[in-house]
Amino acid sequence: MNSATLFGLCSAALVGLGLFGLIVRPEPLRKILAFNLLGSGVFLFFGVVARRGAAAGLGADPVPQALVITGIVVSFSATALAVALVLRLRKLTDEVTSGLGAASKAQEDGDHS
Amino acid sequence: MSTTITTTASGYLLVLAIMWPVAGIMLSFVTSGRGVERLACVVLPVGFGIAVAVLIAVAQGGQSQIYVVGDWAPPLGIALRADGISAAMMLTTAIVMCATGLFAQGEFSQPSDLPEARSPVVFWVLLFAIWSGLNALVLGSDLFNLYVALELLTFAAVPLVCLKGQKETIEAALRYMLFALIGSVLYLLGAAMIYGAYGTLDIGLLSERVRPDPATLIAASLMTVGLLAKTALFPLHLWLPPAHAGAPAPGSALLSALVVKGSFFLIVRIWFDAMPGLLSFAAAQLLAALGAAAILVGGALALRQKRLKLLIAYSTIAQIGYLFFIFPLAAGLTAGIAWSGIAWTGGWLQLFSHALSKAAMFMAAGLIAEALGHDRIAELGGIGRRLPITMLAFGLSGLSLVGVPPSGGFVAKSLLLMATVMEGQWWWATVIIVGGLLAGGYIFMVLGRLLGSSATPLASLAPVSMRRELAALSLAICAVLLGFLPLRSSDFLQIGR
Amino acid sequence: MMTPMIASTLLASALAVPLAMMALALSRRGTGHTANLLPLAPLPALLAAMMVPEDTSVVLPQALLGLRITIDKPGAMLLGAASLLWSAGGIWARAQVRSQSQERPFTVWWLTTLAGSLGVFLAADMIGFYLFFTLVSLAAYGLIVHDDTPAAHRAAGLYVALALLGEAFLLMGFVLLAAGAPGSSLLISDAVAALPTSSWRDTTLLLIVLGFGLKMGLVPFHVWMPLTYSAAPIPAAAVLSGAAVKAGVIGLIRFLPFEAALPGWGEVLASVGFFSAFYGVGIGITQANPAAVLAYSSVSQMGFLAAVIGMGLAAGNRAAPLAAAFYAVHHVLVKGGLFLALGAASARLPRNAWLVMVPAAVLALGLAGLPLTGGQIAKLVAKGPLGDGLAGTLAQLSAVGTTLLVLHFLRRLSASAAQDSTEPPSSLLVGAWLTVAVASLVLPWMFLSTIGAASWNTVLSSEELWSASWPMLAGGLLAAVLWPWHTRLPRIPEGDVLAIGQRCLPSVFSLGATFERVDSYLRQWPIASMCVVLLVLLLTLTLAVP
Repeated sequence: MNSATLFGLCSAALVGLGLFGLIVRPEPLRKILAFNLLGSGVFLFFGVVARRGAAAGLGADPVPQALVITGIVVSFSATALAVALVLRLRKLTDEVTSGLGAASKAQEDGDHS
Repeated sequence: MSTTITTTASGYLLVLAIMWPVAGIMLSFVTSGRGVERLACVVLPVGFGIAVAVLIAVAQGGQSQIYVVGDWAPPLGIALRADGISAAMMLTTAIVMCATGLFAQGEFSQPSDLPEARSPVVFWVLLFAIWSGLNALVLGSDLFNLYVALELLTFAAVPLVCLKGQKETIEAALRYMLFALIGSVLYLLGAAMIYGAYGTLDIGLLSERVRPDPATLIAASLMTVGLLAKTALFPLHLWLPPAHAGAPAPGSALLSALVVKGSFFLIVRIWFDAMPGLLSFAAAQLLAALGAAAILVGGALALRQKRLKLLIAYSTIAQIGYLFFIFPLAAGLTAGIAWSGIAWTGGWLQLFSHALSKAAMFMAAGLIAEALGHDRIAELGGIGRRLPITMLAFGLSGLSLVGVPPSGGFVAKSLLLMATVMEGQWWWATVIIVGGLLAGGYIFMVLGRLLGSSATPLASLAPVSMRRELAALSLAICAVLLGFLPLRSSDFLQIGR
Repeated sequence: MMTPMIASTLLASALAVPLAMMALALSRRGTGHTANLLPLAPLPALLAAMMVPEDTSVVLPQALLGLRITIDKPGAMLLGAASLLWSAGGIWARAQVRSQSQERPFTVWWLTTLAGSLGVFLAADMIGFYLFFTLVSLAAYGLIVHDDTPAAHRAAGLYVALALLGEAFLLMGFVLLAAGAPGSSLLISDAVAALPTSSWRDTTLLLIVLGFGLKMGLVPFHVWMPLTYSAAPIPAAAVLSGAAVKAGVIGLIRFLPFEAALPGWGEVLASVGFFSAFYGVGIGITQANPAAVLAYSSVSQMGFLAAVIGMGLAAGNRAAPLAAAFYAVHHVLVKGGLFLALGAASARLPRNAWLVMVPAAVLALGLAGLPLTGGQIAKLVAKGPLGDGLAGTLAQLSAVGTTLLVLHFLRRLSASAAQDSTEPPSSLLVGAWLTVAVASLVLPWMFLSTIGAASWNTVLSSEELWSASWPMLAGGLLAAVLWPWHTRLPRIPEGDVLAIGQRCLPSVFSLGATFERVDSYLRQWPIASMCVVLLVLLLTLTLAVP
């Protein structure tokens, strides 16, 4: 077993774990973490692709590494946006439960009916 | 290796199409809320002009317009390419953007004595970002580049859902975001596998090298299903109703008319451009079957909704279904089978006419909700008499959705029907017909209420500005006029294939 | 003689004027009494029907879809009769709608329906025909709901549901027709000529008969007629039952291949037609509301017409379309006139009841073929395709039934008139009504020579007079016998079999509830995300299948 295969298996395991978390975990924050796990698995897979040199016939193809960097930026932004939403949701929920948002709660019930 | 790809004469327009809205975003950060509205008055018309210019360039050249970024030809560099469908898609985007801009002027502004809020700036920034993302998506010809465009589109669309900041809209946005992220990761995984197998992500180069080995098939299905999640094709539509119904009216218009079409466009790119001939009969039938289920379930559920915006959202789920008939019916396109061209035109016309009419419909629903203070269908009675223009907009766009002539929706559905007959796949014809009946049911259910007697005293209605009514009406009229396009113009959609 | 230029301009204006007036009424500028337009809108069509030479064609510019409109003999006859009725109906509508705030929408709906109703007689290509057919079908919705009562909304809802179903049948039928046609021609004549050899012939015919049969109200698709005509304002009911319904008739005339004898299809259509003819009578005599009686009479008459067309198709009789159009022309004027009589009766002074009842009686008995009226000629012309066999006998029996039904109508008419006598209708309204009535008597005599089916002498021969008279005598006798019994007749609700349909409604709703459960199940996060994984596997598998 060479290192590329080992890393490939690792990436598959990460993808599997991430998917499992995304499917079964009800809490948004855990879903976000699972998404990051899943993303890491995919980035690792890019690394494996680079190592194997793919069709370019190089020892270490630089293109996938460039792609991974971009991918990490995108995934970081996604995480930031999702966490911001979770925080905002938490804040609104707290307001409602502490009674401060009783009015908005009543309005909400009206909307649902 | 084929001939090297070089920039064509009008190629710079493609860069402009992507960067012009980005310039709008940059300028938005340094102006106030009212300043952004004025800025939009410049950005929108010029952006429309760019889309028209691209369309003319493609039509006159009769071939794709290409821009090779930094003069680095693929596979090392990336290229932007505008063919017939991308030029038509850009024009549709531009029309919807301009009408939405007209509609949204003043929607988020506040009285001058209050401290300035964030939402006006945010809305316009998101609008520009969606525009830029969509243009990048239809022009991109590199699978990774397309991934970035797709993410830009999603990140701009999600905050649009929760612009109102209520708890349930934030929940809807989060649900949308997380489900879209599953889709993104699957797409990226598929792209990685493609690179691993072929050493390139350029669509043109891939189409020459691609072969039906297991890795390619798995990669393709990962990418496709990832995109289906973002297109909200049944049964992956869980996020769509709350998100599209919860957004403010101009936001819903953009999301329903354009954003879901972006990922659909990419699916077509994959199967018709990157991997022509790889879509097996069974797989095409599977995609169309999901579309058929979407039409039936979406239509039946739209009939059972109590709130107008949710009804329209379920109608979107149903209408998206029609698009997927393009896969079994236009499959012969690369082989040059004549009726595949019919299905190709029908599918794209359905996309364009749905974009125009659905945006108009969400705007009309927004105006109705604004006037009444709610959008409960049972209590809409008589509002049509107070808002005749809004009702006309709703009615015309609804008739296009049902497929009543003369309208874009009618031509689209009859072309798709014709293709089912020619292709001998009559089972899709029954779904198209039943879907039309269901659409007729829910549209006339609402129209009947609008025309009916009033339950509430109409004097208590909030005023609605004529300009915004006309914005909705103009889009509805565009959807109808699409039915008057001479069929010859459908050759345009074949440019670059 | 007209120059071709003037002829084609006149022909185009027959459709352009109502549409332009509709746009005017729709725009903000059409202030004032938009309803004043109503009687004027059909006049260009009336002129065109009278003056434009046969087989004049106009091809509209490409921007208007390149539609082609042509005037031929059946089209011209129907166009003339229908535009006359629309004009008379417009005078009535103008008087009735003027006092209400609903004037502008009513005008828009009226003119749209009018344009569609006249357009179907002229459209020569499938796109145009479908367009006008849709206009006349769907825009009638606005006329039916005009009174804004629960009954009107219910009737309009049912009407639209069935109209959309008919549209769906026709759309698919037209698509199959176009697919079977040679080249890319969308002309109706080309497509129909290729139909007998098309590989989708039977499906196409089925869809076409279903679509147009629905519009004509053939059993069991007749349920919308009684509800609609009772709920709509009287002028609207007059034009809908007289003119708009003929969209279905002209559809069958245009789209069935009479050149090729199709015995199977012809006999099916004739059987359905005769069944409707007797069914309409049977249910009609149990109705109390005179508008509903007239509606069932329409079911019966349209059934008879379908039988004429069906027998013509079975025999490959090329004269059948013209005979059917001739019969339809008579029905346009008589049925429109009878509805207007209903309007006149509800407002006349009780002491000169005969002023209404006598013309109404002549009109009504004309439907049964009263000698010397247009009705006798219509029945005579219809005999051609029906022949002397079983179909001929059934036709005579249906005239007996019609006599019975119209006598019942006259009784209900006088009863309803006695109940509410408000202000008398103006002389303009009475004049419009009597014009339609006189036209129904005179026009068939004038058209007789144009269609060349029979001469005046034949009509006046004692043999023909007797053959027209005995069914009336038999019907009168039957009515006299049944008279004491009529209170014992069952009270069948308007729309008869609709009651059965409504019983099935809960099961349809429960289907919707099932869909809702499926949807809420699939929209749970774990289920939806599992679906993602499953779809990846499924798609990979299907991709691997060659």
